[in-house]
Amino acid sequence: MSAPMVEARGVHKSYGGVEVLKGVNLTVVRGEVTCLIGPSGSGKSTLLRCINHLEKHDAGELRVDGDLVGYELRGSKLYERNDKQICAERAQIGMVFQRFNLFQHLTVLDNITVGQIKVKGVDPEAAKAKARQLLARVGLEGKERHYPSQISGGQQQRVAIARALAMEPKLMLFDEPTSALDPELVGEVLDVMRDLAESGMTMIVVTHEMGFAREVANTVYFLDAGVIEESGPPIDVLGSPKSERLQSFLSKVL
Amino acid sequence: MPTNGDTEVKVVPVRHYGQWVAALVALVLVAMLVNTLFSKVPTGQFTCRIVNGTRRCHEVSEWRFTWDIVFRYFTTSEILHGLLTTLELTVLAMTAGIVLGVTIAVMRLSTNRLLSATAWSYTWFFRGTPVYVQLLFWFNIAALYKIFTIGVPFTHVTFFTLNSVSIFTPFVAALVGLSLNEGAYMSEIARSGLLAVDEGQTEAATSLGMTRSQTLRLVVLPQAMRVIIPPTGNEVISMLKTSSLASTVSVIELLGAATNISANNFETMPLLITASLWYLIVTTVLSIGQFYLERHFARGALRTPPPTPLQRLGRDVRGVMSKFRTRRGVAGAAP
Repeated sequence: MSAPMVEARGVHKSYGGVEVLKGVNLTVVRGEVTCLIGPSGSGKSTLLRCINHLEKHDAGELRVDGDLVGYELRGSKLYERNDKQICAERAQIGMVFQRFNLFQHLTVLDNITVGQIKVKGVDPEAAKAKARQLLARVGLEGKERHYPSQISGGQQQRVAIARALAMEPKLMLFDEPTSALDPELVGEVLDVMRDLAESGMTMIVVTHEMGFAREVANTVYFLDAGVIEESGPPIDVLGSPKSERLQSFLSKVL
Repeated sequence: MPTNGDTEVKVVPVRHYGQWVAALVALVLVAMLVNTLFSKVPTGQFTCRIVNGTRRCHEVSEWRFTWDIVFRYFTTSEILHGLLTTLELTVLAMTAGIVLGVTIAVMRLSTNRLLSATAWSYTWFFRGTPVYVQLLFWFNIAALYKIFTIGVPFTHVTFFTLNSVSIFTPFVAALVGLSLNEGAYMSEIARSGLLAVDEGQTEAATSLGMTRSQTLRLVVLPQAMRVIIPPTGNEVISMLKTSSLASTVSVIELLGAATNISANNFETMPLLITASLWYLIVTTVLSIGQFYLERHFARGALRTPPPTPLQRLGRDVRGVMSKFRTRRGVAGAAP
């Protein structure tokens, strides 16, 4: 078995004295879907944001694809990576946000091409061709020239997924991708994510959609108050929860 | 069409009698003002001539506003040169002010304390002293610094030296003073624009692997422009008028040219009007430009862009027409 895509060992993170992550251990196997569930404020999003270094973790070891996130070990010293190296790391990790965060001043097509052209240096015509191909994949042909404010929330989130995929990431992070959507629009986004999982993309999904977690996830982690309370295949974690806290959480969300 | 059960009924709109009275009063006052603009006043002098053996006298009157003098000087080369200088000062000082302002705003938002403190001090100093004082200061700078030297501080190592009298001509002094002062105001405007852009935009750009400068240039600034442009338009118009202070440091701009002429012919009021009319014309042109610039940067922020004045006029005309049609239709349909 090859090395895991993401490996966390005792990851800690505090915001101004409040400890949000209190020693998290997590392993994400290549090509698998991992779902993070838990009550709000449990540290799910923070963990996700540490993985692509949007937040700096304070202590512990966090590796993506074998490399330490944000640091380089040379001899016995950890060297903080410079901005350029961190940007290069991030470019290989796609992220989808709860509130889509599409670039409001750019058309749908430009949203998907801007990263390819400016970060990866892809030729503009090739970037456009790839963007059209991805738009077809998420079922949004013909929306190229719309601005984000002119399409629905579900469509915006699918564009956001296409924007992340355009960078050809080795790992995709989803931060509550359907929480800001009207109920009838949730399905179209989950369908795209399901297809993506079937294509073999390694995914970490913070979600409250237990149905999606049960059906698509290989592993489910339950976070509570900054620690992993329970983990394992969805059948076990969601089907026969052991800890009291998970039982009470599931009784509220299901 | 409103109905009462099955039968259509006539709609009587609310009559705003108070508004009509107020509008009438306003109209009368405007008419009075216009009347004074084009009226004659008695001079107290009389001319007499003899008609059919009798002496007839009448009082001489003259135009209150001597519009002929206003327009005689309107396009003289002196006034036009002054106008050109005013425009040069406005454009150059605003350009420098915007560049300075954005730089200071980015510095102010930096995580580096020294940079942000420097930016804060800059704004504090240049916003805290009158622009008129600043102009006089740069005009008299040679009193403090006879020469400008670039070198290593606290040593005798110098790279090159400039004579301040030769650099700080009146025009340069005015330009530097106006630019530095404008930079302080623009930095606050730019900062408010940068802060108005949702943090999620920065996060999304960062997660795509953009560097901080790419995020600023490609994502944050273009969206900040929507917030920055209206107050910047205000600043441009303000600068156009503030540049008249340059006349106090012997730059002959629009107002300077007008006062120069009136110092010779004593036609103070007509020449002030000449200058004012030019300021109004340029302000009008600038306002139109601002409208289209705002429309351009509203891309994506609004589902439908605001109509241009021509489109709005067309819509109003169509609206009034259809109102008349509906009224007649309702009236005709009512029993």
